[in-house]
Formats: sequence, structure tokens, C-alpha cells
Amino acid sequence: MIGILLAKIKIFIRYPLTFLAMVVMSIGFALIIGGGNGNVINVPVYVADDAIRGTVVEDILNESEAFKFNYMSKAEVKQQIANGKAETGVALYEGDFRVLVGVDSPNVNLVQQTVNGAYSKKLQYEQIYTAANATTNSDKEEVKKELEETIADPIFSIQSANFRGSDAVIINRKLHTIFGFTLFFVIYTIAYNVFHILEEKNNGVWDRIILSPARKWEMYVANFLYSFGTGYLQVLIIFLVFRYWVGVDFGSNFGVALLMLIPYVFAIVALSILITGIVKTVQQFNAVIPIIAVSMAMIGGAYWPLEIVSSKFMLALAKIVPITYGMEALNGVAIYGYSLNELLYPISILLLMGVVMTGVGIHLMEKRHV
Amino acid sequence: MLELVNLSKKFKHLYAVKNLNMFIEKGEIVGLLGPNGAGKSTAITMLSSLVEPTTGDVRFKNKSILKSPGPIRRVIGMVPQEIALYNDLSAEENLQFFGRIYRLKGNDLKQKIDEILELIGLADRRKDIVKKFSGGMKRRLNIGVALLHNPELIIMDEPTVGIDPQSRNYILETVKRLNEEKQMTVIYTSHYMEEVEFLCDRIYIMDQGNLIASGTKEEIKRILSAEKTIIVKADRLNNTFIDSLKQNPTINRVTVENKTVTIIVPKEINIFQTVLKLAEEAKLELNSVDIKTPTLEDVFLHLTGRALRD
Ligand SMILES: Nc1ncnc2c1ncn2[C@@H]1O[C@H](COP(=O)(O)OP(=O)(O)OP(=O)(O)O)[C@@H](O)[C@H]1O
Ligand SMILES: [Mg+2]
Repeated sequence: MIGILLAKIKIFIRYPLTFLAMVVMSIGFALIIGGGNGNVINVPVYVADDAIRGTVVEDILNESEAFKFNYMSKAEVKQQIANGKAETGVALYEGDFRVLVGVDSPNVNLVQQTVNGAYSKKLQYEQIYTAANATTNSDKEEVKKELEETIADPIFSIQSANFRGSDAVIINRKLHTIFGFTLFFVIYTIAYNVFHILEEKNNGVWDRIILSPARKWEMYVANFLYSFGTGYLQVLIIFLVFRYWVGVDFGSNFGVALLMLIPYVFAIVALSILITGIVKTVQQFNAVIPIIAVSMAMIGGAYWPLEIVSSKFMLALAKIVPITYGMEALNGVAIYGYSLNELLYPISILLLMGVVMTGVGIHLMEKRHV
Repeated sequence: MLELVNLSKKFKHLYAVKNLNMFIEKGEIVGLLGPNGAGKSTAITMLSSLVEPTTGDVRFKNKSILKSPGPIRRVIGMVPQEIALYNDLSAEENLQFFGRIYRLKGNDLKQKIDEILELIGLADRRKDIVKKFSGGMKRRLNIGVALLHNPELIIMDEPTVGIDPQSRNYILETVKRLNEEKQMTVIYTSHYMEEVEFLCDRIYIMDQGNLIASGTKEEIKRILSAEKTIIVKADRLNNTFIDSLKQNPTINRVTVENKTVTIIVPKEINIFQTVLKLAEEAKLELNSVDIKTPTLEDVFLHLTGRALRD
């Protein structure tokens, strides 16, 4: 089996062009469509009550990843909304805020949510100040500092589950695009590598191996490992490029995100085995792969978030597409901060799909050969 | 050593091989001859345990290979009709790959590879990628790969198709040498008479799935010993002439191909004068009239009414 694997790796190193093309395409598409920093949505803000300045509200708004809150005068905010430069603006009062809506879009809700969160935090802080009897500004500063230190270094931590209402989705467009195109393009790399089995069967190499003391499973396993390896290498390179070269923030668990790719790549190898088991010729395979890859990417939310899909039918279809679960696992890690328990769901579905499709695919290939 | 018993293979409605009976003794070179689609490759894949027969049995050393293909697989060297190599690897790497598959390692493998590259005349091209080889070079490597593990029985399915005469002779000589020096048993498939005639001790002739003749070269030619073949050539053959030949009661068979008419008559008949007379009557100008001693080609013609090669 090592010999088989070695031969494949030799060929891979000798002809890396297709592989590199896939890597470059994934990165290119994600860069172009996901955009650089310019993609962060601009939200003009004006301060209607100076009491809000220097509070935690400002801090939180500044830290927002999805939105860039730009401070300006009331007139400028209104103008930006009026001439369509911004979808929505915000007016900050002392204990309250207004969202000024120009175009009604899902972002309006998200802006409202973000600002609302900031005000709740402010309220929380104020209650603490009262409890700590901090009346002067310097007292407040001190309490705030202590508070922040405590939060950063808690005595005991409480695990908290994120509660996300149905209309409170967080969509990180940049990460979403990277994930989407990575998961999409790797389908091609994997499928064409798995397809070597059919080529070997057609050109007689497989027969030679059957006559040899090598076992058939060694062929399957070697092909599986090779396809998995190249597939994983591809997604790994793409993620590393974005993380360390482009400098995209993958959340705090980059390592876990890399782990989440394993069950996905596994499932795609299995899917490719299944397809290889079904098609009969190279031509069929070449025709089928793009169709499957593209439609899976659309159904599974690689191009656009599933959250904006309303068709019940499409959502039901999404349930049977591996890419859906790959996206869920990655988004879960990088954006939503899923706990291990929550991640287990997409992982186990991917693994289950993988096992079933591998089994059926190999069965079909074996049956046809005799 | 190897025995095919009423072997048949049916694809949908077509019998590719029908009730084939054959035997091969150790050390023999046996030829399997037949035109395109005769069922040669199908027979060979069945006897090498790669394809299951629809009915019938293949027995190797008196044991059926259907239940336990292991013993025959261990001794077979297979040269498939289609080139079965990794196109993206070099000649040497291909040999390494298939050598490892046969559990050869280290120095043994290296030596064996050198030996085979020498044998197939590719020693100076060992580092070249197969994709860039000529058809003949690929064919030679295709043979070389089958010899890596010193097979007892080598099965060659039309190994010389598309090879220039020089390489072809070289391959034929090599096969003969392997047989003589290493007592390799050989099953050799071809639709070239000359090859089979040169190489083989015994010959099986197939057509459309059926075995139509078998035996030693001499035995097979004796099928025609009661007859002889006359070749008539003319630039403007006409139907009057051909019809009159066909109607002649002393002529057994008439076949026409381009500007050539082949006539088979009983040995004792002197047809020469008759042919000339009929030609004159049909106002036909003859180029030549030859009397031929029978070849395997003629046997095939005799048995099927068709030429062996299309
Ligand atoms: N897998 C298959 N499915 C259907 N029909 C097949 C298959 N393999 C072979 N045949 C048919 O069986 C017949 C015999 O084919 P085979 O390849 O054994 O002939 P052959 O004697 O090797 O011919 P050639 O000299 O062209 O190689 C042909 O009519 C062919 O079309
Ligand atoms: Mg054939």
C-alpha cells in the first residue's frame, strides 16, 4: 500500500498545476467576492447627548467587526442615508438610541441588535457603579478598570450558551466567503483524485494489481488516503494563507476550525467515491462533477448564507448536502463560538454521510467490475 | 497445467466465448488466433481469473480457479491488450511500482528492473515519462511489467499491435527465448498468422466466440491437405467470370477481395486450364494465376469463408 501511495504522491508532485490552480482559485474568489476591509458595513452615527461619550457604549460599537460606526454630525448622517451612502444610521442618546432606516435590510436588525447590546452593557455597568457607590468620574474609572480586569481574568468561569433568536443572525461576510469557496473548490480536487480509481480500472492497471499479491483494499485505502490528503492539504493552505498572509481573523479557535475541515473533507472523499461508483465513463464524470459541486454549493450555503433562504424545499435539500454541515461547523467555530457539544452535530452527520457513501460507492464499483 | 472446460461468456445477448475447450501444458507456447471480436481477450481474462465465466470452468493444476483464484494469480504474468501503465510515471518508476506490488524490495527490485529494462531495450530511456514514449516503447514496457516476478505462465494479448517489424521480431525472439531458457509457458494471442506460426507449438483458432480449429501447425494445415488454393489476379474483375467460377462443380469455394479471387479446389483437380478458359470467355484479362501451398490464413478462409484480417 505504501508503494501505491508513493506512486500517487510522485505523480502529484510531478503535476501540481491543477492542484495549485484550485488553491489559487479558491483564494482569488474569496478575496474578490469576500472583499478586503472595505466590506465592513458603514454605519454613520451621531451623538445626540454628550453624556454617552466615553461610556462603554462607544467602546463596544468601536469593537464591532461587522459594522464600522462612523461618528459625524446629525446633518451628515441624514445626508448619507438620504443619498444612499448608508443603509442605516444611529442616533445615540444618554439612555436610549434611535436607528434611522434608509433602506430596509437584514442589516438594520443587526445594527439595532449591536447597539442594543451596547446599551444593555452600559446599564449593567451603571448598576455596578451604583452598587459600588462610585459617584465621581474617577471613582467610576477605577471601578470600570477593576471590572475589566476581573472580566479578563475571572476567578471562576461560567460556560454560557449563546442564545440566538431567529432574526438575530450574525453574518460575517468575509469569513463566510472564505469558507464557502474553500469548501466548494476542494470538491473538484478531491473528486478528480478519487476518480483515478476509475481510470486505473479502465486502463488495466487495476487488473494487474488484482493479479498481484497486493490486496484490493490496499488500492482503495491508498486512493482514499491520497484523495483525503490532497484535499486536506488544499483547504489547509487556503486557511493558512488567509490567516497569516491576508490576516483574516478566524476567531479565537483557528486550530479547531482546521480540525472541523477533517470531517468535511472525509465526507467529500466519500461522495466522490459514490459518484465514481455510479458513473460509467470519464465523460459522464466530467459532466457530473461541476453540476454536483455547484448545486451543492448553492444548496448548502457556500455562496450565500442559508439564513437568507426562505424556501422550505431548499432548506430541506440543504439537510442532505455535506457542504451545509461543513459551513455550519466552520461558522460555529469561527463566528458563533459553538461549544464542543454543538459542534458534535455537524461533525457526526458528516462522518455518517462519509461512511455510508464510501460503503455504497465501493459496493457499486465492485459490482460493476465483474 | 491449465484447462478450459466448456467455457462461455455471455454479454447481454452476445456470446463472446461459447463452449471453449482448451488445454495448455507446461513449457508450451500456445497460440490463440482469431479476427477482431473473436473472443480472444474475453477467453484470456476468464482464464486469468479476472472475469467470471457465465458457464464452464477453468482448471489450473486440476483445481478450479473459480473458487480459489490464488494459485493461478501467483504464477501469471499478464500482458493486456490495452497498455496498462501509469502514464505520468517514468519507465523505471512504473517497474518500481509494479515490482513493489509484487513485494519486491531493495536490491532485488533494482536488479530485476535493470534486467528487464535491458531485455525490453529501454535501458537508456528508463527515466523518461511513459506519456512521452512511442506506441512501440509503451508496448515493450507493457510486456516488461508482466515479467517482473518471473511468472511461470505468461499471457500475452496481441502484444505486437502497432509495433514496427524490427521491434516486433525482437519481441517474438524474446518470447521464444523466455520459453526456451526459463521454461515459461506462453499463451499468445494474435491475429497475425506469421507470429503464431513462428512462435507456437499448438494453435487454437477462434471466430465469433467459437473454437473452429485446434492442433499443431501441421495438423491444422492438414485440414487443407485435400485441397489447394489458387490465387487469380485481374485488374478488371467482372461478375461473369466470378459467377462462372462459382458455378463450376469442381471448385469448392470462391472468395473475392479487391482484384484478387481465391479459389479452393480438391488437390487432384487441375484447374489451371479451366480458369484461363473461363477468363477468356468472360473477356477478362488476367494478371496472374498462382497455386499456393496452404497457410493458416487459408485454413481460416476455408473454415469461415472470410479472411482473417479485415
Ligand atoms: N465488457 C463487454 N461488454 C459487452 N460486450 C463485450 C465486452 N467485452 C467484449 N465484448 C464483446 O465480445 C466479443 C469478443 O470480444 P473480445 O475482446 O474478446 O475479442 P478479441 O478476439 O479480443 O478481439 P480483438 O482482436 O479485436 O482484440 C466482441 O463482440 C465484443 O464486442
Ligand atoms: Mg482482444
